[in-house]
Order: sequence, then C-alpha cells, then structure tokens
Amino acid sequence: MDDAVPLLRMEGISKRYGGVKALEKADLSVNAGSIHAILGENGAGKSTLIKILSGVVGPDEGRILLDGREVTFASPAAANQAGIVCVFQELSLVPELSVADNIVISDPPQRFGMIDHKAQRRIAEEALARAGAADIHPRALVKDLPLSRRQIVEIAKALARKPRILILDEATSALTAADVAKVFDVCKRLRSEGLALLYISHRMNEIRELADECTVFRNGHNVASYRAGTRSDDEVIEMMIGRQYSHVFPAKPDSGSASKSAPVLEARSLSWAGRLHDISLTLHPGEVVGLGGLDGQGQRELLLAFFGVLRGLGGQVLIDGKTVSIDSPAAARAAGIGMALIPEDRKTEGLMLPMTVRENLSFASLDRITKAGIVDRDQEQELIDDMVRLLAIKTAGLDIPVGALSGGNQQKVVIAKWLMRQPRIILLNDPTRGIDVGTKQEIYQLLRKLADTGAAILFYSTDYDELIGCCDRVLVLYDGAVRRELVGAEITEHALIASALNIEAEGQSAMQEVNA
Amino acid sequence: MSDMASHGRAGYLPGFLRRADPAVLTAFACIVVLLFLGSLYSRNFLSPEYLLQQLKVASFLGVIATGMMLVVLLGQIDLSVPWTITAGAMMACAAAAYGPVGTALAMPFGILCGVLIGLVNGIGVAYLRIPSMIITLATNAVVQGLMVVYTGGSSPQDTATPAMRYVATGSILPGVPNAVIVWALVGIAMVFLLTRTGFGRTIYGIGNRERAAYLSGINTRRVVLIAFAMCGGLAAFGGVLLAGYASKAAQSMGDAYLLPSIAAVVLGGTSILGGRGSYLGTVAGVILITLLQSILSVMQMPEAGRQIIYGIVIVAMLLLYGRTPASR
Repeated sequence: MDDAVPLLRMEGISKRYGGVKALEKADLSVNAGSIHAILGENGAGKSTLIKILSGVVGPDEGRILLDGREVTFASPAAANQAGIVCVFQELSLVPELSVADNIVISDPPQRFGMIDHKAQRRIAEEALARAGAADIHPRALVKDLPLSRRQIVEIAKALARKPRILILDEATSALTAADVAKVFDVCKRLRSEGLALLYISHRMNEIRELADECTVFRNGHNVASYRAGTRSDDEVIEMMIGRQYSHVFPAKPDSGSASKSAPVLEARSLSWAGRLHDISLTLHPGEVVGLGGLDGQGQRELLLAFFGVLRGLGGQVLIDGKTVSIDSPAAARAAGIGMALIPEDRKTEGLMLPMTVRENLSFASLDRITKAGIVDRDQEQELIDDMVRLLAIKTAGLDIPVGALSGGNQQKVVIAKWLMRQPRIILLNDPTRGIDVGTKQEIYQLLRKLADTGAAILFYSTDYDELIGCCDRVLVLYDGAVRRELVGAEITEHALIASALNIEAEGQSAMQEVNA
Repeated sequence: MSDMASHGRAGYLPGFLRRADPAVLTAFACIVVLLFLGSLYSRNFLSPEYLLQQLKVASFLGVIATGMMLVVLLGQIDLSVPWTITAGAMMACAAAAYGPVGTALAMPFGILCGVLIGLVNGIGVAYLRIPSMIITLATNAVVQGLMVVYTGGSSPQDTATPAMRYVATGSILPGVPNAVIVWALVGIAMVFLLTRTGFGRTIYGIGNRERAAYLSGINTRRVVLIAFAMCGGLAAFGGVLLAGYASKAAQSMGDAYLLPSIAAVVLGGTSILGGRGSYLGTVAGVILITLLQSILSVMQMPEAGRQIIYGIVIVAMLLLYGRTPASR
C-alpha cells in the first residue's frame, strides 16, 4: 500500500487551543480507494484533525499534501474546492427547505441569475441515488423526514460536491440498523469508485466491518496505524489508553462505607424525549459517583433532569426517600433539596462574564444575603471572603469582570458560587474541561473534601482518568441508559472504555446491569 | 490586553471619573458641546431660567426613560410606551370626573393602568416567550384602539386634577420645579434598586446571560414580568405628569416619546443588548436629547428639517458609541 504517493498526507500537524494541546505532531496518510478509520477516546484529537482537514480551523504547524502537493485551506469552501468534504455529526440541514434545496445549498445551479430548478432537481436526484436513497423525494421538506433519513440526505449533500476525500464524522450515530447497512453499501461503492473515506466512529463493530486501514489517536498524536483485522479489540483499547498519568488524586475512603447510609437522591426509571431511557440510580451522602461513557450519551441530560431544567420528564426523583417534583433550578436549590449544578459551559451557563467577580460569586445566593430585597453587603463580603479563601481564587480584585480571570479561576468562581449555598447534592458537568492541571487537582481534592463532609456528588467527566481517580462508583451511560455500574477496584480504564463502547471486553466480570 | 488599556487610562483620569463608563462621559461631553454651540447662537442658553426650564421638560422624558432602561437592561424593549403614556394620562383625567374620590385617586389610577399594560407585555415576553418587539407593538395597537373607543376619536373633555397640575408645574421648593423633584426621586429609587437590591443584580444578570441566571436558580420569568410592569407604570406616570403639564390629556400625546426614550437610554451607554449600563448615563441621555430638541426648535428650524437633523444626530451618536469595544 505504501508504494504509491498517497492521496492525502498530513505531516507534523499541531494545534493548540489556549494552553491546551489538541494535536501535537500528528501524521496521517490516506490512500485513494480505501476506507480509513480513525480511533481514539474523547479528546484524543480526532475532531481537531477533521476540522483542520476540512478547513474549519488552521493548523499551528505542519502541512497537508494532496497528491503530493502542499495545500492550505483558508475556509471549508476552499477544502470543498480541493475535493475534501465532511459529513458532520451535527446535522447541517435547513429543516424548512426541501431536500433538493439543501443538497445544492452552497452552490445552487443558476440560469440568468436565478436558481435553475430543473438542474437543481437533477443534481439532487443523482446525489440521492449515489447515496442509496433514490426513494427520498427531492422536493420533500427536510423537516418531514425522520432523523436517520436526514443523515442520508446529509451524505447526499456531501456527494453532490464531488468529493475525492469524504469524511464521515460519527455519521452513523443517529441511524437505524437498516440505514447503517445502506450507508455501508454506499461507502463500499464509493471506495470502489476510487474515493478515499475517512471514517470516525466509536462503534468497534462498524470499524471491523468497514475499514481497510485504522489509525489510533491518543493525546493529540497518532500512536499506531494498522491494517484492519490485524489487531484484537483489546489491543486497540490498550492503544487508546496506554499513556502515563500525572494526575494526583486524593485517597478514597473504603469503598462501600458511604453506600450504607440512606440515599439522599434516588432516580426511578427516568426517561426523557428519547434521550434518556429508564435510568435508575441512587446517590448517598459522602460518595462521589461518576458518570462515564462517550460524549453525548445522555449524561448532560441526566444532570439537567435532576436540576429541573428539562420539561416532560418521565419517572420519579426522590430526595431523602420522598418523591419530589423539581420543575426549575430555583426549586432544585431550595432548602430541603439543596442541589447545585456546575454547568458544562462556564462562559454561557455558569457566569456572566462582563459582571464582576463579586456579583458572580453571590449571584446564586442573592436570596440568602438580601434582607427585604436589599443586599447586605457585609454578609456578602463575609461569604465571598470565605469562598475566595476556601478555593484559593486568584483575582486582581473582586470588582473586576470575571471574564478577566484565567479559565481555571473562572471555574473556581462557578464552583464557589454554588458552595456558598452549602449544597447537599452537587452535580458537576465536566467541570475540569479546558482548565490547567493545577486547578484540576485542586478541584479533585475539593470534591473529596466535600464528600467527606457529607455532600453527595454526581460527577460527569469526559476524562477517564478523573473518573478512575475521583469516583467511588461510576455509572457508564450508552445511548441514554445506564449500561454498567463499576464499583471501587472495577473502575479501570479498560473497563470504562469497553463499557463505553458497549462491547464485552476480555476479563470483564459479571455484568452489573443497573436497570436489569 | 484590555486590562492593560483600562489601567493605562486610569492613570491620568481624576479619581471620581475612573470608575465611570466612557459612554457616560461622552454623553456629558456632548451636553457641554451642545450648550456651547447654543451659547454661540444666543447668550440665553446659559441662563439659569433656560436651564431650569430644560430640566423641567427633561423630567417627563426622564421618568419614562427610567422604565425603558429597566427593560433595555434585560435585553428587551418596550414599544408600547407611546400609548401607555396616553392611556395613563387619559385614565387619570377620566378618574378626575368621578367626584372627590376620583380626584384623589386620579394619579394612582393612571399609573395602575400603565402597570396593567406592562403586566400584559411581561406575561407575553416571560411566559409566552413572544419577542418583546412583537408583543409590545401589539399591546400598543390594542391600547390605542381602546383609547379611541373610550374617547370616540376626539380628545377627551376631562381635565387634569389640581394635584396633577401641581406635581407637574408647581414648585414646592422655590425655583425648583416639582417635576424635576419627582424625576430626582424616581431616579434615586432606581439607582438604589439597580445597585443595592438583589432584584437589580438579577436584572443585570439576566441581561448578560439569561441562561446562566436561570441555572443559578433565579426565577427569571418573574423578574422580567416585574420589569415590564414597572416600565408600564413609569410610562403611565410620565403620561400623568404630561397631562398635568398640559392640563389635559390628548390623543397620541405619547407618540413623541418612543424614539427619545429609547435613544436616551442607549445614548447614556446602556447596551441595547442588555446587561450593561448605569442610571447616570440615562440621566445624561435624557438631558442630551432634551437639549437637542430645544436647540433645534429655538433655531427656528422648520419642523421637517428638525426631524431630519434629530434623527441623524441620534444615529451618529449611536454609531460613535457602537464603535467603542464592548466590555464583554
């Protein structure tokens, strides 16, 4: 395979976001007429690689060679011109427009300055036929199609741009089994037509069936490339893990000691809008429970459901053994429930960036520090001083905009604003994303300290190390349901990844299905 | 980077200005420039009588703009202000026709009508999730219709009560018009509300990031509802004062206040997107707009030319402010 000049080579690609290395000296080589799978856990650099290849972001260093000639893409349109087209995971279709309109949306055929509907329809029909979906009518509105058909239209839209390299980023995650089979047929036919396909998926069985070549990414670097079928699943998982960890985690108490007390929070068959399926769990005072699994398997929705943000929740939530109905964050934080949520995106959900550190810190506690509606400044100052000390928040002052703080300190402010209420149940949605290692470690210590003082902590993280290092138990979610519960020593990277990918790994102990 | 810049600027500014918003300073500078240009035309522009008269005229707009500022801080807008003003004025005058009790309750009744209009707006925006630009425009039309039905299309015969006239035109302190005192009291209450109360904090919080405020456990819908009710009440109060000033209510007396009330708020440095702004800026904006109108009319510019210049100046000033980097 290595004799000819590859269709695409990426050499020494590096990309940093602020202080975070997303890619470091990554290489990738893709041949025409082959399907190349890219593997790696969350944050391994796969999506950054795809973004660079499709012209969404530019690399900090490194070069891209197409047919042996160096190219640079200033925009996705430039990448399209060069024949690189990406089918993104998030659907990019306009629901109110027809299928044909969507397929030609970036470059509609024109006659006398107006859209040539005949040509448009012909292009759409051709593209749909190539995508194996000739049954979709070009004039149908996208909003009338089910999700799996929309994904097919998305692929047809990509094909209409006449790609030489087609990137499928989790393109099958929304599809039914029948549609997945169709997509596979399309992929295989495109391969025989000489296209190169880059296939990103977390589904190992799909990769086994489809891929010719595989490249494993870890920590922003390609660690191994191999011909499909030459490595076992276990070996692949080892390749995805195998790194040295530098995190320092606090010691865990004896496992099981916390779960003997009565649960403070209990969920009974929670479901919501097809995104959460029959989730039951208990959370005891003094324990740190992790939510694991791949990104977007319902972890966020579960936390939002507890916090009263989601409408139309099925099932029951019990606090101290009593059924409660939490219909808003205001209800969730109220006395008697005492819940706090550290949201996912501190810039849009946790903080008001232009407002001062002081205003942000006391914002969730305004009801406690006001008397007859008037802010008691002395009390406010006292509480803020406590929190700044407890979390060691580094700021040039309390009256500067919180947006001027470093990411780690901003995150500390988000946590502090909730700790000020002394919550009994603390929900955290990936709280260490994009912050420095030092602050991460402080947060790990803090979580354990809070648990030791009787708080119950439910902690979603996309970083497996964190789950292993911090949690007494981990619930692994897949497709909106709890797939496995790992307790104490069972929480290993191997077990986490195997259950996140929903495959049976070697040496796996008896399945502990929570929702049997 | 922006940190460095603001520190650098602080270095040569006197202390009391350091914390002031550049937009507020610009607005006050514009006031000084306008007065200077006016004094070139006529020395009377700097006389205490003229300035006090301008302040009195400004106070009606000031009360109305106070309410507008609240909703603009939320990132919303209230386009029902014109007919809320008119309804407040007409309803207060109408109450005056019902004997001594009606006379006594005329002002509160007028304001109450404004609060009710504001509540409708607030329910539409906060609970029904209708964009404020749409619901307040619709409310404006409905209130206009109701007022036309009530008056039969002509200006009502009822007149303002003596109390209304006294509040708008009298002077309890020698030389200081009562209207100015009323505006000062409303303004002080507003400053207190915005800077010292939990409600004020949540207004800024929602204006900056409604989602973050909601996830902080704030009942954001209630805050939005109350803000719109207050805006309606203050607009109607402005209408009551205007009726007292003119001794009676008139059809479409509020129409001239929509653009000025929004412009005053925005010229004063309050972000039209919400979340940022100080009441001092609104005071500056109100005075600026009032002076501009006055100077244009003193120069005996024909009405059409006045409108054109007025509009252009407002757009020019907004562009000037819009170019300064936002703090977010």
